[in-house]
Amino acid sequence: MSHVIARRVRLSRRTLLKGLTLAGTPITVGLPPLVSMFNGAGTAYAAEPAAAVRKEAPIESRFVLWFNGNGIPERYWIPSETGPDYRMTPCLSPLAPFRRDIHVLSGLDNAAAAVPGPGNGHHKSMSALMSGTPFTGRGAGGPSIDQAIAQKIGGESRFRSLQIGVSQESFGESIQRNMSWAGYERALPPEMIPHKLFDRLFGEREEGWVNRKRSILDTVREDAKALEKNLPKDDQARVEEHLSGIRDLERSIAGLPPEYRRIDPPEFDGDMKDWPRIAKLQSDLLAHALATRQTRVASYMLTKCQGLSRFPWLGFTAARHHDYTHADGKAPGSDGVEGQRILRDICRWHVEEFAYLLAKLKSIPEGDGTLLDHCCLVYVHEHAEANPHKNHGLAMVVAGHAGRLATGMHSRVTGTVGDLYLTLADEVMGAGLGKFPTATRKLGTLLA
Amino acid sequence: MLLAFAFVAAAAAADAASFSKTLYPVLERAQCRACHNPDGVASVTRLHFPEADAPPERVEAFGKALVVLVDRNRPEESLLLRKPTNRIPHAGGEKIKPGSADEAVLKAWIARLASLQGDELAKALKYREEEAAGAGHERPSVVLRRLTHTQYNNTVRDLLGDQTAPASQFPPEDYVNGFKNQYQAQNLSPLLIEAYGNAAERLARNAFRGGDTRGLIPCKPSAACRARFVREFGLKAFRRPLDAAEQKRYESLFAKETDFLKGAQLVVEAMLQSPYFLFRLDETANPQWKPYATASRLSYALWDTMPDATLLEGAARGELATPQGVDKAARRLLDDPRARQALDEFVAQWLRFDRILTAAKDRRRFPQFTRETAVAMTEEARMFVRDLVWNDRNFLELLTGDYAYVNADLAGIYGVPAPAKEFERVPFPPGSERSGLLGQALFLALTAKPDDTSPTARGLFVREQFLCQHVSEPPPGVNTNLPPVTEARPQTNRQRMSEHATNPSCATCHNLIDPIGFGFERFDAIGGRRDTFKLLFFGDREGGNRRAPPKTIELDLDTTGFVAGIPESKFSSPRELGRVLAGSSQCQECIVKQYFRYTAGRLETPADRPVIREVLENFRRSQFRFRELIIVLMRSREFPSGGSSQGVAVHVARDRTAR
Repeated sequence: MSHVIARRVRLSRRTLLKGLTLAGTPITVGLPPLVSMFNGAGTAYAAEPAAAVRKEAPIESRFVLWFNGNGIPERYWIPSETGPDYRMTPCLSPLAPFRRDIHVLSGLDNAAAAVPGPGNGHHKSMSALMSGTPFTGRGAGGPSIDQAIAQKIGGESRFRSLQIGVSQESFGESIQRNMSWAGYERALPPEMIPHKLFDRLFGEREEGWVNRKRSILDTVREDAKALEKNLPKDDQARVEEHLSGIRDLERSIAGLPPEYRRIDPPEFDGDMKDWPRIAKLQSDLLAHALATRQTRVASYMLTKCQGLSRFPWLGFTAARHHDYTHADGKAPGSDGVEGQRILRDICRWHVEEFAYLLAKLKSIPEGDGTLLDHCCLVYVHEHAEANPHKNHGLAMVVAGHAGRLATGMHSRVTGTVGDLYLTLADEVMGAGLGKFPTATRKLGTLLA
Repeated sequence: MLLAFAFVAAAAAADAASFSKTLYPVLERAQCRACHNPDGVASVTRLHFPEADAPPERVEAFGKALVVLVDRNRPEESLLLRKPTNRIPHAGGEKIKPGSADEAVLKAWIARLASLQGDELAKALKYREEEAAGAGHERPSVVLRRLTHTQYNNTVRDLLGDQTAPASQFPPEDYVNGFKNQYQAQNLSPLLIEAYGNAAERLARNAFRGGDTRGLIPCKPSAACRARFVREFGLKAFRRPLDAAEQKRYESLFAKETDFLKGAQLVVEAMLQSPYFLFRLDETANPQWKPYATASRLSYALWDTMPDATLLEGAARGELATPQGVDKAARRLLDDPRARQALDEFVAQWLRFDRILTAAKDRRRFPQFTRETAVAMTEEARMFVRDLVWNDRNFLELLTGDYAYVNADLAGIYGVPAPAKEFERVPFPPGSERSGLLGQALFLALTAKPDDTSPTARGLFVREQFLCQHVSEPPPGVNTNLPPVTEARPQTNRQRMSEHATNPSCATCHNLIDPIGFGFERFDAIGGRRDTFKLLFFGDREGGNRRAPPKTIELDLDTTGFVAGIPESKFSSPRELGRVLAGSSQCQECIVKQYFRYTAGRLETPADRPVIREVLENFRRSQFRFRELIIVLMRSREFPSGGSSQGVAVHVARDRTAR
């Protein structure tokens, strides 16, 4: 670390990736401190030599929407005191070291889940939670908040946004498996396999690969354009989707620096049921993707909506995540008390993994602080109390120090999920959305 | 007499106002449409409601067509009056209150209908015929269909000789309308497009690893050979000849590499990402491509893969331009082993094999349920259906067959001796009350919860999979948790679920589904037989104190059930229900509809009614041979003739006159 500081070499962002390569550092260990990439004051990225005209840009803020499925046991999660001196609850205890970095919220309403329509369970809440729009019967009714933000601030990055997942076990269909939605019924599936995520972000490329890919995509684009003519509207939209996917691919290829080389993939034995291990690998990769400015917006889905994970490392094997949330029979103890205790421990594990990501972000120096100083993370679930599928009084955690984010307290707020999102998007991230479904006002308590 | 007078007087008043202003809003408020529609639980007595955006004359015509429910001599006895007011038992209950203003409007309209005469009456009666023929409706203009993941795997296998099944790693596909191949769900997310790109790169590299080991290059490297490769490989990859622009485009891509194989690899990689490979054109206006669209439609429907050389040559020679040609091609395809695999896939989706393969069962109650048992359940169902289809048996044995295909795992569940050979056909023991799929472990287990049966899930599955009826989800704000069963208050499922029948917000739907499920209560959550309802109480420690046996309470079972909407449908075992369903016309029609949805990639619309009817008639006439269903569906989708059936010759004649 210190030798980098001592040398005071000015590196460009591109050199950073190359530097990683030359050092041969496995991606699973922390990045070098990157001090050399900042100006004398340590507050901004140094301009790249190639873009001499560009002014030194302030450090970008990043947005992470973080999700785990199935709701919470409120009595073990929500602190009874508000303000800065709240007592950490059993579920939140892994966040104790980050008390100054987080803002615990309770009382939010998932307003779009309350409108009439079929079903009141997880799928309906999920659409409302992510997008502020009612469940369509197949998916979310509009873009999720991470995508709304990405559409405004993601355009300059190699990836407009990243979707990262961990556990693959869930009930059914798109609405349960995905948290990010590009638009009406347009799910963006998360990458759940560490090797593949690694490959997208840092994968090895042969000599000439970029040019080759480009000529292939040019050809494919010509095909798509020819096909698009003479198609009915619905189908045109489908081809348009293909074309825009190709544009995204091209951008991610174009974003590759020419001297890009392989770095070591994560050490992983391939046990695709070892969720705690995979969660940490995915968090590592996410932190590195943010640090290397490959994206500014990400979503992270630890367990699925209405998830069915088992938790052998916690000793709970008789039933699955969702089964434990409903006291009915499956969770031992028919009055549900035992089920609540089990759910407490399950939720605490989820919080531990969130804390791991915070620790990771905080361990990466950036400018005169850390990466976490330039992040805004929101931790959500599709329900408050899980058993009755409760959609009001949701508990969330906001973390990081991007923008004017106020931290270090528990606030009981009156407002909707949309109010929270709009406040974060516009007042913290500066995305300038102006509006978001179900948002009617900004939540001042979140702002310093 | 007095009553009749009242009707006449009311008729005069109704004359002034139209149906759409009087009775129509009443019927919509009463939500008649919700059940009396082709997919509703009262599909037998569907009322042919006009679409939401129908023109006013269509709404009026519908109003007049209700005359078939009117008793012209005794209007007060009309079904149209007595059913919705629940004067005679109505599965949907009392929808219009006797004595209410709404009823007065209904009576007025009935009087109007009772007075219809001559031409007006004849015209009113025509509405149903027109609706049945799909008049005024157009087939949806869906033309692009993405290859399903299964089709992708099979296609690269046949195109490149690659067995790696790369699509198994693609983001999973959604079940919509009961299947994973439905048009609306075929999104292209950025992750999927990247996955296509990565798969194409790997497939193309493997295809030429160590030279042209798979014989993809038809000639010695030269400029002419380059053109030939693009033309011949392009024909197979796009499943139609390339046009001049495409030929040029891919030749110039090829030429970007100096090494010949590298150039060919580039072309392969690009074509595998082209929309012409990833999508197939189910319909096309381009006359040159039309026969090839037919070829692809046949091969993807019947084989789940690309057309073979014979089919493509047949398309080129115009052999698919006649009903006989399609008939012949379909029969050839069905004789190929690939057809077995493709049908297996339909069965696996229709019967939701995925649900049992991902199901969890309480290990304390059902230690014998393992991954292997789940696989055996699907294997049994697959063999059972295969035998019906490919040995040309009556397909309704699906519901009535008194035998099973049993291996050692299943023998334990069925209480029969383990067979000497795995998956041998054995008769169900007498008195087992099992028959067909409804008596097999697969259905009984996949519709159950981890620890016990779910009469609701079983009833829903029967409604949705075998009657093609859609039941709405619970209304918002309803707590769907039933009170827990305790040692102090032991209850059977029927007793516990009685709230479904008494709470009005639950009853409307649950009365349609729960009574079906109750008829299966003699079969537990993995399909084993039980003669009493056993409740186990394990104490309150996670995992239970293994040394202390659980407390058991046994209750008597009442397994009577019925299918609301099907007359005379009382039953008390899967065996009896199987016979009820097999004999019901909506179950027979549903089998046709399910296969239609699967092959068309969408729900049927009013415009598809003639095709469905033609297929159903032929299916019946053939004594329910599924192979005939397939062939007639293939033929009539290409040549919707709107009529019979008997032979191909009929179609040709009609086809000519139509032109």
